[in-house]
Amino acid sequence: MRYRRRGLDIASHALLILALIAFCLPVWLAITAATHDQASLYTGTAPLWFGSEGLGNFRAVLTEPVGRLGTDVTRLLLNSTVMALGIAVGKIAIAILAAYAIVFFRFPLRRLCFWLIFITLMLPVEVRIMPTYKVAADLGLLNSYVGLILPLIASATATFLFRQFYLTVPPELLEAARVDGAGPWRFLRDILLPLSKTNIAALFVIMFLYGWNQYLWPLLITTESDHMTIVVSLKRLLSSADNLVPWQTVMATALLAMLPPVAVIVLMQRYFVKGLVDAEK
Amino acid sequence: MATLRLNALRKTYPNGVTALHGADLEIADGELIVVVGPSGCGKSTLLRMLAGLESISDGELAIDGRRVNDLEPAERDIAMVFQNYALYPHMSVADNMGYALKNRGVPKAERRRRVEETARLIGLEDLLDRRPKQLSGGQRQRVAMGRAIVREPRVFLFDEPLSNLDAKLRVQMRLEIRRLQKRLGVTAVYVTHDQVEAMTLADRLVVMNGGRIEQVGTPMHLYARPASRFVAGFIGSPAMNFLNARLDARLGGDILTLPCGTRLASPIPASGEAKTVCLGIRPEHLAVVPEGDVIDGDLSVRVELVEPLGADTLVHARLDGQDDLVVARIDGIRAVAEGDSLTLRPDPGRLHLFDPETGQRLAPMEPECQHSTCPA
Repeated sequence: MRYRRRGLDIASHALLILALIAFCLPVWLAITAATHDQASLYTGTAPLWFGSEGLGNFRAVLTEPVGRLGTDVTRLLLNSTVMALGIAVGKIAIAILAAYAIVFFRFPLRRLCFWLIFITLMLPVEVRIMPTYKVAADLGLLNSYVGLILPLIASATATFLFRQFYLTVPPELLEAARVDGAGPWRFLRDILLPLSKTNIAALFVIMFLYGWNQYLWPLLITTESDHMTIVVSLKRLLSSADNLVPWQTVMATALLAMLPPVAVIVLMQRYFVKGLVDAEK
Repeated sequence: MATLRLNALRKTYPNGVTALHGADLEIADGELIVVVGPSGCGKSTLLRMLAGLESISDGELAIDGRRVNDLEPAERDIAMVFQNYALYPHMSVADNMGYALKNRGVPKAERRRRVEETARLIGLEDLLDRRPKQLSGGQRQRVAMGRAIVREPRVFLFDEPLSNLDAKLRVQMRLEIRRLQKRLGVTAVYVTHDQVEAMTLADRLVVMNGGRIEQVGTPMHLYARPASRFVAGFIGSPAMNFLNARLDARLGGDILTLPCGTRLASPIPASGEAKTVCLGIRPEHLAVVPEGDVIDGDLSVRVELVEPLGADTLVHARLDGQDDLVVARIDGIRAVAEGDSLTLRPDPGRLHLFDPETGQRLAPMEPECQHSTCPA
């Protein structure tokens, strides 16, 4: 800090604290609300401290079928994890191979392939969701993990990012590998993949969150609770027309839905930091 | 250990540009060939064709008598040292050196033994666990060398391997490369644009220009008997002086007349009528003549610039009444100042004459000598 002025210090700290409160208060309320019983939540004041239930609500949503959902949250978390992992891993694998082909191989219509991939960047899932649904339905993919993952598995963004990274790899590295007797697969496995470790980690986080937060597509393709994802279920829990909303259950479920993305970020962050400190270029 | 034969090797790119117009060369077992030339002369293309990194458009390349035109780089059993070293950044020094062996399925223990043996040979024992980025430029250069040596290839290819090093390290590594290559006895092709590097390293030099091989020979042969004006100007530092002269027959000997009127005895006989030739004199073959000792054939010049190098001094001077600049390399202890008048005497036995149009040497070419000790 080069400029230390008291007024500036106070102002910036005040702003920081305000932002922290704005961000943390809802989370805090969710945590405390999840530990109350339904009666105490309908007294009219939001509880700022833990209630009588302790972890009871969490235990309940994880082990017993929740309200209108017909299944427990463990199952929903599993579904979401499978979907998010499938999408993240699939996107990265496909993007690596596609970018590898585009950058390191000379084949007819190579440029056209790249531009076609690039153009799909402009088409979000929602734009093509009806035809995609029709195709998925015709293939019998409704209510299946394949149906959840497959239509979202290709990523132009990731392909583009890997392409840009591969273009910065010195061509001599490829030549040295060729002289050293490494074929295309070996070059990919031994040289290119280790070099793209940090890119892969970053993309994994982004793509996992993307997959986890999918709402519209799982909502369309799953009609039965055994393949429903947790994000979709959250909304469903809230829409109880004739009952009181069981806020303690909703809060517990919401908190559980937050845990896997947080875990992924915390775990992968160590790779980022490692990649930054140990930058291998 | 291998012999190489290049037979009318040609490279034409798909866009129609021809980078190499048919190169012929025989390389003996254990020989260190240095290919030298200005940028864009095709020397790197030639090397990459030997490596198999560029396809061969026409002609034949044979290693040990076997045609290798269509073999992958790895199948040619060559090792290459790149200008930027091209070390694998994520691998330790040991893994970098052992990668080729690993790809060939050499067992781990054997691989380790060979890597350690090579590391000892080039003084890398203590660095085997480091990553390339933890090494200095000279150490990286060594690793690149080690990576080539450990495979025990038939041919080493060097693509300007020293151009990223500082001057002192370059001289040191140059000697080391020479020592290692002789000790291992591996045939090597070394590409550089640095003619000093080329002269000191080469068993034989290949001078290239515009996609063609201009001349092949020992460094001293190329220095003493350049086949063309290009070679004459490229080999030797500072470059040879070129002056236009008229060659005509006179009674009592054939005479070269310089534009300033100076007359020199011609090293070659004039044929028929007088003609213009290009006279080449190396800076080191111009001696300062003491005043009062001037004879016919000496050049009187005015000094324009003095570059003291220590042992020698380079004098850039203008011929009296002419625009031609000449450079002379004179003894460093002689005091010369800008603006001085000097008399320079060309060494009569070391004049070179070239055809002004074709640039070809206008003297009977001796058969090419094969030894670096060949008399000048």
